[in-house]
Amino acid sequence: MTVANTETSEMEMKPLAVEVRGLAKTYPGDVQAVRGIDFDVFPGEVFGLLGPNGAGKSTTVGMLTGTVAPTGGTARLAGYDVVAEPLAARRASAVVFQESVVDRPLTGRRNLEIHARLWGVDPATAAVRLGEVVDAFGLGEIIDRPVASYSGGQRRRLELARALLSDPQVLFLDEPTVGLDPLIRHELLDLIAVLRRRDEMTVVLTTHYLDEAERLCDRVAIIHAGRIVALDTPAALLGTLGSELLEVHVDGDPDAALSVLRAGGVASEDAFSVGGTLTVPLHGSPAHAAVVAVGELGLTTTELTTRRPTLDDIYLRLTGGRLAAA
Amino acid sequence: MATIDASLHRPRATSTRAAASAGSTNALRTLVRRRFALNIRTPRELLVPLLTPVLFALIIAPALADQIPSVRGIDYMSFVAIATVGLLLPLNCMLAGIGLFVERDNGARRDLIAAPVRRPLLVLGNLAVALAVSGLQLAVLMGAAVLRGAEFSGTATGIAWFLAASIGLVVVMYGVAETLANRIPSQEEYVGALPAVAIVPWFFAGSLFPIGAMPAALAAFAKVLPLTHALAVMRYGLVDERGVGLHDIWGMSSPTVMAFLSLAVVAAYAVLFTVIAVTMFRRATVK
Repeated sequence: MTVANTETSEMEMKPLAVEVRGLAKTYPGDVQAVRGIDFDVFPGEVFGLLGPNGAGKSTTVGMLTGTVAPTGGTARLAGYDVVAEPLAARRASAVVFQESVVDRPLTGRRNLEIHARLWGVDPATAAVRLGEVVDAFGLGEIIDRPVASYSGGQRRRLELARALLSDPQVLFLDEPTVGLDPLIRHELLDLIAVLRRRDEMTVVLTTHYLDEAERLCDRVAIIHAGRIVALDTPAALLGTLGSELLEVHVDGDPDAALSVLRAGGVASEDAFSVGGTLTVPLHGSPAHAAVVAVGELGLTTTELTTRRPTLDDIYLRLTGGRLAAA
Repeated sequence: MATIDASLHRPRATSTRAAASAGSTNALRTLVRRRFALNIRTPRELLVPLLTPVLFALIIAPALADQIPSVRGIDYMSFVAIATVGLLLPLNCMLAGIGLFVERDNGARRDLIAAPVRRPLLVLGNLAVALAVSGLQLAVLMGAAVLRGAEFSGTATGIAWFLAASIGLVVVMYGVAETLANRIPSQEEYVGALPAVAIVPWFFAGSLFPIGAMPAALAAFAKVLPLTHALAVMRYGLVDERGVGLHDIWGMSSPTVMAFLSLAVVAAYAVLFTVIAVTMFRRATVK
């Protein structure tokens, strides 16, 4: 697992916002959703849990927010153990769930007021904060309408606004853009990007969208089959594959073709194949030289392209599965 | 999309976090207000559950009273008026359980369990609303019965017995409703089970006739139903000061002692089903 991260050295001096040690969840029927994961999130950091559906991201967030009971390990939010001190831990955090969870028959304002009261915000402060978030999230014209009349994007904005009312130390965003159309998704990502600039606001974001993770997160943990398989900054993770990849589409056995490329010195051990496509990190070698070398090795190729690596490639190399297809 | 206001960028006020230590009372009050806002958005939601018992009190009870003037010295109109309470309260509580499915299906329940609130309060908040709504409906129902000719004892002690039994019955039935709502997978199945839970016991519980009129086996079954005990105490409070209904259950001579015993049975059921409801809620919500 990649753990080196020089960019967060300053953050490491501060107390942890989230501290996870050996956290595990096994559902009845011996379904191991999370298999003993460890990670820290520093105050003010935007931390991404990246992985396909079923990887264990939402279960992890569920354990951290008290909606799923861990079967092993420990987790602390703002210093509070989520099992031993659940109320304090939940009070220090807020969560925007993957699915909409507001009371649709009630107005947006009523939803915000109820949330503020449940999180123990005193009425005077709540009134001030409510006005702020309503303005900030552009909800002024719709706030007194029943939420049932809101569009999907308006509901998402309301849920984000609601989560901020209690001024949480840790904000969990569980797949916040799933099911939204591209325009609304773009707007929402802008809003979340603004949250990054808030002092002391720690954000834990789960997503299977690579662009979200790259755009928003200071660090990313790639989670696969309940385990963290890589954890670092997006730049550092991408750096492990160099600055350029050669993608080779082959006829015939891709694993045999990969062996030929390795034997011919074109590919190193971090090259990988998925289906009929070989992905070869170039690590500074000129792309045209690699293309020529592939030709000289006598492989039957249907297409040769070069491109920059993405987190999808990192995930592919580590797990053999494609994020976007999950 | 609005421009993000600069106020969101400011350092957070420490007062907000310091004030975030609201007690259970505030949380319960908020949960009750929320449930009221969700359940009682229009008068229709308050009146529809009343329809059957009120029609019973206004039409069926007088007709029956015309044919059967009295039961063991109790005016039958008044006897049946209490019976309608035994129909209304379980129906109302079971209908309240449907709201839990709505909450579960639209995800709001998940949000509530992520709140910094003790989980039993989520159940108790709903129970408080069931009690309040039942109280309102009870007042309307009893008013309708009085208008149609039912006669009730107006002593403070009698009213206290009646209210204690009514409250106990609501707590029992809401506990049953919450338990079933957390055990039954779909709203359709719950609605299918509703008559069996809310109405069937009414036929056995001495609602329309004394349980002594039933075969011994059915009478024995009736004695374990909380509704039987609740109705007997309600009648003892308002229409049956000699406690003949209680005597059918206990066979003792002191009405007060028997009333206490029946009330204790109702209270025991209330505690039992509330504990089961909270336990089921926890199991159903936290995986």
